[in-house]
Amino acid sequence: MEKIIDFCKHAFLKIKSKNISEFEIYGSSSAHNEIEIFEEDIENLSFADTKGIGFRVFRDQRMGYAYTSNLSDFAIDSCIEKAIENSKVTNREEYNYLPLQTEFMHGGTAFNRDILYAPEFTDFSIEDKIKISKELELAAKKRDERIKGISNLIYEDTVSETVILNSLGLEDSYKASAAFLYISVISREGEDVSTGDYFGYERTPQKLDTEDIAETAVKRSISLLGAKKVKSQVADLMLNPMVSIQFLGIIASVIMADSVQKGKSLLAGRIGEKIFSQNFNIIDDGIMPDGLASRPFDGEGVPKGRTAVFEEGVLRTYLYNTYTARKDKRLSTGNASRSSYKGPPDIGISNFYIEPSDVPENKIMEKIDKGFYVMDIIGLHSGTNPVSGQISVGAKGIWIENGRLTYPVKEVTIATDILSFCKNLTEIGSNLKFMPAGGYIGSPSMHVRDIAISGS
Amino acid sequence: MLDQKLTKKILNILLSSGGDFSEVFIQKRNLNNMRLDDGKIENSTSGFELGCGLRLINKDSTFYAYVDSIDNESLLNAAKILSSAVDSSSKNKVLDLTENKSPYDAKVEKYPSGMTQENKKILLDAANEKARNFSKYIIQVSANLSDADDTVFIANSNGLLINDSSVKVFLAVSIIAKKGNEVRTGYKSLAKTMGYEIFDLKNPEAVSLEASKIAIKMLDAVNAPAGSFPVVIGPAFGGVIFHEACGHGLEADAIIKDSSVFKDKLNKKIASSILTAVDDSTMPYHWGSYGFDSEGHPSQKNILIEKGILKNYIFDYKSACKMNMKQTGNGRRQSYRDLPVPRMSNTYIECGSDENDAIMSSVKNGIYAKEFAGGQVDTATGDFVFGISEGYLIKNGAIAEPIKGATLIGNGPDILNRIEAIGKDLDFAPGFCGKAGQSITNEVGQPTILVDKITVGGTEV
Repeated sequence: MEKIIDFCKHAFLKIKSKNISEFEIYGSSSAHNEIEIFEEDIENLSFADTKGIGFRVFRDQRMGYAYTSNLSDFAIDSCIEKAIENSKVTNREEYNYLPLQTEFMHGGTAFNRDILYAPEFTDFSIEDKIKISKELELAAKKRDERIKGISNLIYEDTVSETVILNSLGLEDSYKASAAFLYISVISREGEDVSTGDYFGYERTPQKLDTEDIAETAVKRSISLLGAKKVKSQVADLMLNPMVSIQFLGIIASVIMADSVQKGKSLLAGRIGEKIFSQNFNIIDDGIMPDGLASRPFDGEGVPKGRTAVFEEGVLRTYLYNTYTARKDKRLSTGNASRSSYKGPPDIGISNFYIEPSDVPENKIMEKIDKGFYVMDIIGLHSGTNPVSGQISVGAKGIWIENGRLTYPVKEVTIATDILSFCKNLTEIGSNLKFMPAGGYIGSPSMHVRDIAISGS
Repeated sequence: MLDQKLTKKILNILLSSGGDFSEVFIQKRNLNNMRLDDGKIENSTSGFELGCGLRLINKDSTFYAYVDSIDNESLLNAAKILSSAVDSSSKNKVLDLTENKSPYDAKVEKYPSGMTQENKKILLDAANEKARNFSKYIIQVSANLSDADDTVFIANSNGLLINDSSVKVFLAVSIIAKKGNEVRTGYKSLAKTMGYEIFDLKNPEAVSLEASKIAIKMLDAVNAPAGSFPVVIGPAFGGVIFHEACGHGLEADAIIKDSSVFKDKLNKKIASSILTAVDDSTMPYHWGSYGFDSEGHPSQKNILIEKGILKNYIFDYKSACKMNMKQTGNGRRQSYRDLPVPRMSNTYIECGSDENDAIMSSVKNGIYAKEFAGGQVDTATGDFVFGISEGYLIKNGAIAEPIKGATLIGNGPDILNRIEAIGKDLDFAPGFCGKAGQSITNEVGQPTILVDKITVGGTEV
């Protein structure tokens, strides 16, 4: 099979021949495996080699985009034509042009690309992948007799190659690997049913720890058996990392320069202000060695780096691509994001985390007289409005009394708004955990004071 | 899209090491998306997708491979690789292929290919202008217009062969309004399985106006209450409650995995006896409609619940075989890159016999939930949520102050029994539904209904 770089170079010559002087070609190819296991048997096994190219064309400071998964000559020609047609309809913008080297905030430090791809990845055969997936199912089932079923067990991996070329002479690429293993278990006791899930995410499947995944998923399920509603009240919350990560994801959505510039973020005009009541540091680090979202360059070829978004609770910067950076007379932070070749660059986080403290979770919990240890939330997407700041989501977990976990709770909601959340976040733990969530987000447990809980 | 001889050859290669079923799914899709934001056309993107998914089922195991191509060599090669994953004593022959026709009849008048980008810009500009002129409090307008022209070819070892095509157009308008420090949003969409004649039914200005009105009304919103209340759920998008509280739990893959509260409940009473609910993929032009599902089974109307009694689940081919039931035409997939799974199409609650006035006046102290931001469910426990994007307090039988966004949380089987009244104003709303990593088009629908008690996730304790 031809390599994606060759397709991109071929397309480069084609687009040149059409008298387009400013353009970018973004291509990716990947080999993908997916396995689902049910009752010790393969439920689904799928594999694919896939590739595609996206063209971004600039004409007279107007931008047009088109992509194709069909890389025949004819399809590439039609695709380029379509990108040109699209560039005739979009608005003319003085900031619409390709990134220049003088606009990069990062890139001074060399990034070791070897860390993105684990060479041992190819040593792990499809049989090995099926084997660890089956092992995970068994490990979960035998851990507790109350585990009565597995609603989902998925193994997924990808080896991908990403290529970017542009008319300013940029030509770069990287190869990355990742393996993901997920289980959702069902436990039953009498009439009670409870579900719990967990995952592993690594550069290579050999590093996936099936025992740890099974243990945590089972614990998350059985510890909530017999859960009931509590009365509506205002109480402290202790957010488990699986939950605090999702709240940090909400904060990530209001620091994108694009939202800020369009009046869609409640943090607009607040650079230099103390948003958190405590001295938290929140970082977007695109080159963290063990960060699964680390990349040498972003979705438009700008070098990635480490950006401190909040320092000691103070908002220091938004996250930029070159277009939004020009508008604010800033440098690009290397946050142009692209989930695939199917669209032009947007803005997104990379490895985004809150720096942990050195206080263990249980020491923080000891200080809570009456509160709710939240282990899972549901309805994050439909229940949060990043523009107005409203947050209202379903939650389950365990009630805290006098610093100790007591009985399980479910079918309640927790509600607040983004700025109150930041103000009421009083302490964070030492147990930093990362999870893929529209980036690779990391957070330890969080203690948030005085949040409305709605129940009976 | 593929000649019969080659198709049969591929289907045979797939079964060459044994197996029960083989399938070829070819898809060609042209997509366009134009986005207006901040008063300008910010993006215009087009996509060309072409590829093939090959499926092989051996007992309970499915093997799948896809390629971004339909050239003979790639297809034959992928079929060989896939068949080598199986070593089965179950030997099956491919039956002669006969082309099926669907009774679904919906003609497209204005194909996306005949619509210039410039004409689409005019539609978006109109939506923008309408909102900006509606109120000085509207500070931002975003609008997306997208279309998809989709052609599929499906053939399987049972002798099925179909050629199908569909056109979809989608418009969504998001509004931001600001007064003092209060910022509120409004959202409305228009989406149908039809061409650009969609805007002869309703123009972009009308969609924009509805979204604008929501944002402006919500500027005066008070904090939502916390606690359990009677809730009147408005028509159309209110149907998301049934979609989450029950629909997902009726999808047969959840039943097979014992991860649904509705397992073993066929022909049993699971809901209030005034409730009849349907999944119907045959309704012409609706957003969740199709001629054939993604396995080539013709679309059909399925009664799920009749007067409170569970009548049927939602099946794809594999789950129907496994449970020894009939396919319901609900095997759907996002694209050739995905496996089909049981999914809803257009799911709705049928009209009841109650008058809206009577429903509203029966509530002393409660919530009127009019528009929604979507929802989510855990089918194994039945616990579900859905978010209100436009809601009001009900005081002494009358609609009172608007409330800020809040999530409603409940348990499926419990809520189904708490439906106390069903109105006559059935309406539908389009949306997208995510499951198994695949996003597909769905429609929900219902008349106004009353649920006697749901937990409302507000902040006023």
